Amino acid sequence: MKKPQIAADTRPWRDVDAKPFVRIANVTKTFGDVYAVDDVSLDIYKGELFCLLGGSGSGKSTLLRMLAGFETITSGTIEIDGQDMANVPPYERPVNMMFQSYALFPHMSVENNIAYGLKREGLPKGEIADRVAELLKLTRLENFKARKPHQLSGGQRQRVALARALAKRPKLLLLDEPLGALDKKLREDTQYELVKIQETLGVTFVVVTHDQEEAMSLATRIGVMTDGKIAQIGEPQEIYEFPNSRFVAGFVGSVNMFEGTVTEDEDDHIRIASQEAGCDIYVGHGVDCAPEQILWYAVRPEKMVLSRERPEGDANITHGFVQDVAYLGDMSVFRILLDSGKRVHVTQTNSSRYDPDAISWDEKVYISWASDAGAVLTS
Amino acid sequence: MSTGVVQPRPGRIWGFIANALRRMGLSGRTAIILAPTLWLVIFFLIPLIVVFKIALSAFAMGRPPYLPMFEWGADESLTITLHFSNFLFLVRDSLYANAYINSVRIAAISTIIALVIAYPMAWFIARSEEKHRNLLLMLVILPFWTSFLLRVYAWMGFLGRNGIINNTLMGLGIIDEPLVMLQTEGAVFVGIVYTYLPFMVLPLYTALVKLDQSLIEASADLGARPFVTFLTVILPLSLPGIIAGSMLVFIPAIGEFVIPSLLGGADTLMIGRVLWDEFFANRDWPVASAVAIVMLIILIIPIMLLSIAQNAVVEKNQ
Repeated sequence: MKKPQIAADTRPWRDVDAKPFVRIANVTKTFGDVYAVDDVSLDIYKGELFCLLGGSGSGKSTLLRMLAGFETITSGTIEIDGQDMANVPPYERPVNMMFQSYALFPHMSVENNIAYGLKREGLPKGEIADRVAELLKLTRLENFKARKPHQLSGGQRQRVALARALAKRPKLLLLDEPLGALDKKLREDTQYELVKIQETLGVTFVVVTHDQEEAMSLATRIGVMTDGKIAQIGEPQEIYEFPNSRFVAGFVGSVNMFEGTVTEDEDDHIRIASQEAGCDIYVGHGVDCAPEQILWYAVRPEKMVLSRERPEGDANITHGFVQDVAYLGDMSVFRILLDSGKRVHVTQTNSSRYDPDAISWDEKVYISWASDAGAVLTS
Repeated sequence: MSTGVVQPRPGRIWGFIANALRRMGLSGRTAIILAPTLWLVIFFLIPLIVVFKIALSAFAMGRPPYLPMFEWGADESLTITLHFSNFLFLVRDSLYANAYINSVRIAAISTIIALVIAYPMAWFIARSEEKHRNLLLMLVILPFWTSFLLRVYAWMGFLGRNGIINNTLMGLGIIDEPLVMLQTEGAVFVGIVYTYLPFMVLPLYTALVKLDQSLIEASADLGARPFVTFLTVILPLSLPGIIAGSMLVFIPAIGEFVIPSLLGGADTLMIGRVLWDEFFANRDWPVASAVAIVMLIILIIPIMLLSIAQNAVVEKNQ
């Protein structure tokens, strides 16, 4: 498979002049006096696999349904491929959707489910048959084409739903919790399959999910939503390593959060006094803040180091007591009660098979981290 | 059942009955099935046999108004006399054939009208907010709280020569002389459709309320206009409801007696009325019984066909 190598090609959102394929501008949707989607603006580019990530009631599904045309927009505009979608009914949009419940037609065979959209287009029979055969092959459903949806397993149904949504070769495919109904193992396999299909066909995907792991492994970019608003948009790594708020830091992955006050504010570093951390926090880069300002420091558990001896340095070192160790195979999660009374999580990779001198329960340990290990958050 | 197992001590009376039944070789399950079976045998099968027997007897003046079928001869012989003349009479006199055909025709047209009216109603109720659905269903069933006869008489008041409709139209100056509405076939359709509409609405509602909204959205998403979605998704998935509702309207409508005699004209010949006339006016029990038997056969055939179709549909969708 040929993959474009130039960064600007694969990441059009980094190019200022790139024309977005889907343009969502100041879109608001209210149900009664509830704001389901609140002034959301979002550009999605051709060939992207964009994930809308959020908890239930965050407005992610409503936004997706507005793209499909099932919900009207209260205010704002949605453009797809340069065309305003305001008065375009769902059956005329260049968009197909894969439903969370799959919404397969129970009275039709797999084959007829996939052919449904093509028949509505009035394509000649031979072409429909060819296209259906192609999709059955792509989704490995050749042996099940005569079956009814109720005779299929969850994973097979999911693939029928995908094939049906892809049949019309839409410019934009919307997927509502596409892997939600599958068990963990099947989910992981399907994830990669989904990405492969997306790359092969070059269709733009917008995926709605509440599962941050799913979003991280699928997406080219993630839009984290909460309370009808977009909290942060960025590439998975950006969202994980450079969250812009305590909400995003806490929602994506696990995090240790320390509240503190700025004591030194220089161009090349800042120092934060944190009672919660039980030590000074030294940040090795300038931050837009003022002395005495209260802010938060977020460190991921895998970026912290445990030791019995106190490491060198006057900052980023704290002390605590191991309350619990969870052995997960590939890594161990330590639950540590700091002297300040704050509880933190630290993970360590189990790089050797057997370590007789491993840190264990009820030990007193030092926890340290690098000066660039965490993110400074002001909100 | 092994006797070695310690039995839980049931209540005294039920325990006694259960033990008695067990001694007779009946398990509880058999006893439960036995009750409705006995009911059907006593109140359905035996009367049916009696009617069939009368249908094969000869007419006679007297009481009962037919000749006995079994006779003990003086030479201790049993003579069984079967008269098929009653059935032949039904075939020979075109009145009966016409009445049957007319009944089926009127019932079929009424069923179609009821379906066309009930479908949007059921759709509306099924798609309305959940908290309003029970109230709307109540409104559909509400007419049943008044006597059926009273409601048919009310229609006479509406449709009559000096009825509400004629008076209103004349009062508004739309027509100069009253329209003839009562005692026409049209009035019979109105009566049957009005009376049996709830029987059509309820099964349709049951089928439509189960219909997943996302299927309709999926169809629209794949490029189907609303009417195409109706034909390809909604209609096939509500077929069990359509079949059940049609059965519930068509079958009683065929044998309908009260509506055609009160609202219909002299020329609205339906089999229910013929049956009534044979039985009470002519006192010809054998012919009346033969009419009833033939009607039953005519009714059973569509029931069987429809329930076979319904099973096929249900099986296909499950």
